[in-house]
Amino acid sequence: MTLPEAKEKWSGQINTVTIGATKTEGGTRGRTVTVGGQTGIPLLSFDGQTPHPAVIAIDVVDKEPVDWAKPLAEVYADVWSDPAAWAGRAKELGADLINLRLTGTHPDEGDRSPDEAAQTVRAVLEAVDLPLIIWGCDEPAKDQLVMPKVAEAAQGENCLLGAATEDDYRTIAAAAQAYGHKLIALAPCDINKQKQVNILISDTGFALEDLVIYPTTASLGYGMEYIYSILERGRLAALSGDRLMAQPVILDVGYEAWRAKEARTGDEVADAWGPVAQRGPAWEAVTATDLIQGGADILVLRHPAVIEAVRKVIAQFQATGS
Amino acid sequence: MIIFSERVNGMYRDVRAAIKDRDKEVIHRLAEEQLDGGADVIDLNIGPVKGDAVDHFIWLAQTVHEITDKPLSLDSAKAKLLVEVVPKVHEALPDTKLVINSCTAAAEYMDKLLPIAAAAGASIIGLTMDQDGVPGNVEKRIECGATFLMSAIENGISPDDIYLDPITLPINAAFKQQENVVEAIRQLALVNDPPPKFIIGLSNVSTKCLMNKLLNRTFLVMCLTAGLNAAIVDAADKDLVEAMITAEVLLGKHLYSDDYVKAWRIQKGLSVSDEATTQTAQTQ
Repeated sequence: MTLPEAKEKWSGQINTVTIGATKTEGGTRGRTVTVGGQTGIPLLSFDGQTPHPAVIAIDVVDKEPVDWAKPLAEVYADVWSDPAAWAGRAKELGADLINLRLTGTHPDEGDRSPDEAAQTVRAVLEAVDLPLIIWGCDEPAKDQLVMPKVAEAAQGENCLLGAATEDDYRTIAAAAQAYGHKLIALAPCDINKQKQVNILISDTGFALEDLVIYPTTASLGYGMEYIYSILERGRLAALSGDRLMAQPVILDVGYEAWRAKEARTGDEVADAWGPVAQRGPAWEAVTATDLIQGGADILVLRHPAVIEAVRKVIAQFQATGS
Repeated sequence: MIIFSERVNGMYRDVRAAIKDRDKEVIHRLAEEQLDGGADVIDLNIGPVKGDAVDHFIWLAQTVHEITDKPLSLDSAKAKLLVEVVPKVHEALPDTKLVINSCTAAAEYMDKLLPIAAAAGASIIGLTMDQDGVPGNVEKRIECGATFLMSAIENGISPDDIYLDPITLPINAAFKQQENVVEAIRQLALVNDPPPKFIIGLSNVSTKCLMNKLLNRTFLVMCLTAGLNAAIVDAADKDLVEAMITAEVLLGKHLYSDDYVKAWRIQKGLSVSDEATTQTAQTQ
């Protein structure tokens, strides 16, 4: 019996977005990172191409974390008081990009000034030559002060800035556009809102082709399937020709996975759940590898074992896909 | 939905005068309005204007082509005229997709027009009627539709290039016929795989009716739910186009967003600057 042809005839494809700029492109990065460009359902080689496999960004925070689980502290505690040194560690661990969080600018987390934030960004740019993703502190009033300064400090480096939301998109979109950066459009687990945010950003004159979308992330056991189905629906809409949904996707896997009690609870539960040194990374790795299959393009990760495992999985998907 | 513009039609006095006087400006302005409203195909009909009909058609096609690369639909009930016009327009505008509007399912018409369509790589609209005239029921529409579809495919025309038009009649003259159109679309879509495209001449439903625009957009939505793919409409009728977009969103053809009308215009590369976003409207 011959199987019926399952290949779809798609009219759309995912945008390609390049982050970072080398010297010849007006920046100082050692190389750039390009994501997107898929012409079919994720990783189904008979359906379409996946020209740019998923990439890994590693978290760097501008302030010493107080609540990171033990397996992460063991890897980063000696560098986490210094974002530049931390970025160096991330590069050693094989990051494609640095995911810098300006958490310390939050009014309740140290309230660092926009100028201090800009200094941190410059220090990280000098310490490593990887492309940068830069997030504010998720406090809109403060981000509106911080992100333009940060965007200016990183002018020419073609960073990815986060994040524009339905309520706060004008300032960050203007800053990204003025200083030549890419932009993350955020809509929490809501595909219709995601499209709306993209329309609003597009209204400011910011190119849809320079956006990366962030539908937020949920880890294994905490609603991962909702994010997965949003990835699926968004991808199908994009492939069917919806230009407003044709952006590559960034997912914050490390942060979400390590919030799960199953990942972070220490060895006091080892008898029932196994040692945290295995359990935590496993939680992060399973979340990441599942979401890659939904079409994630940029994965923000934390644990070295996860980075290694996810690398392998991406390579395997590409090998079977070609 | 594929929007065929109905406005460049010699039944309108301004168009008739423009054809007679070779006034490009009028044609350009009308076509621009239709394109800005979202027209995908410009239907061209010379109407009852005097002079050489073939020359009129070629002039009209070239004039519209000056401002757009979009497909042109050559509209006449006279098969003999289309047989002459289609190859000449194809020769004059070899890169422009043409649509033959229209042919009936009568052998005499199909024998003339299907080979012409195949030779010009054109799409063709088949009316679900034959030598006996417009059917008064669903069954005969389906029979004629199936006959046309089969003959067109036999002539080497791809199903993608075949439109069936189940013939819309005015509500004030032909009771029950509108329901038959909807049902014919539904049934013809069901029995054919891959199905052809379905098209209607929308304004026929409201000819000489006072509430013509409301009738048009309501009937369009009814036909869309049955599987309509295209319609010959006034693309500058904003309420009509917005009703169409809304129906398509509700039918799951587009992903919903609060500004879904604007999203549709962005997708088509149409101007959006003059339209306030939903958010702005809410905060005012």
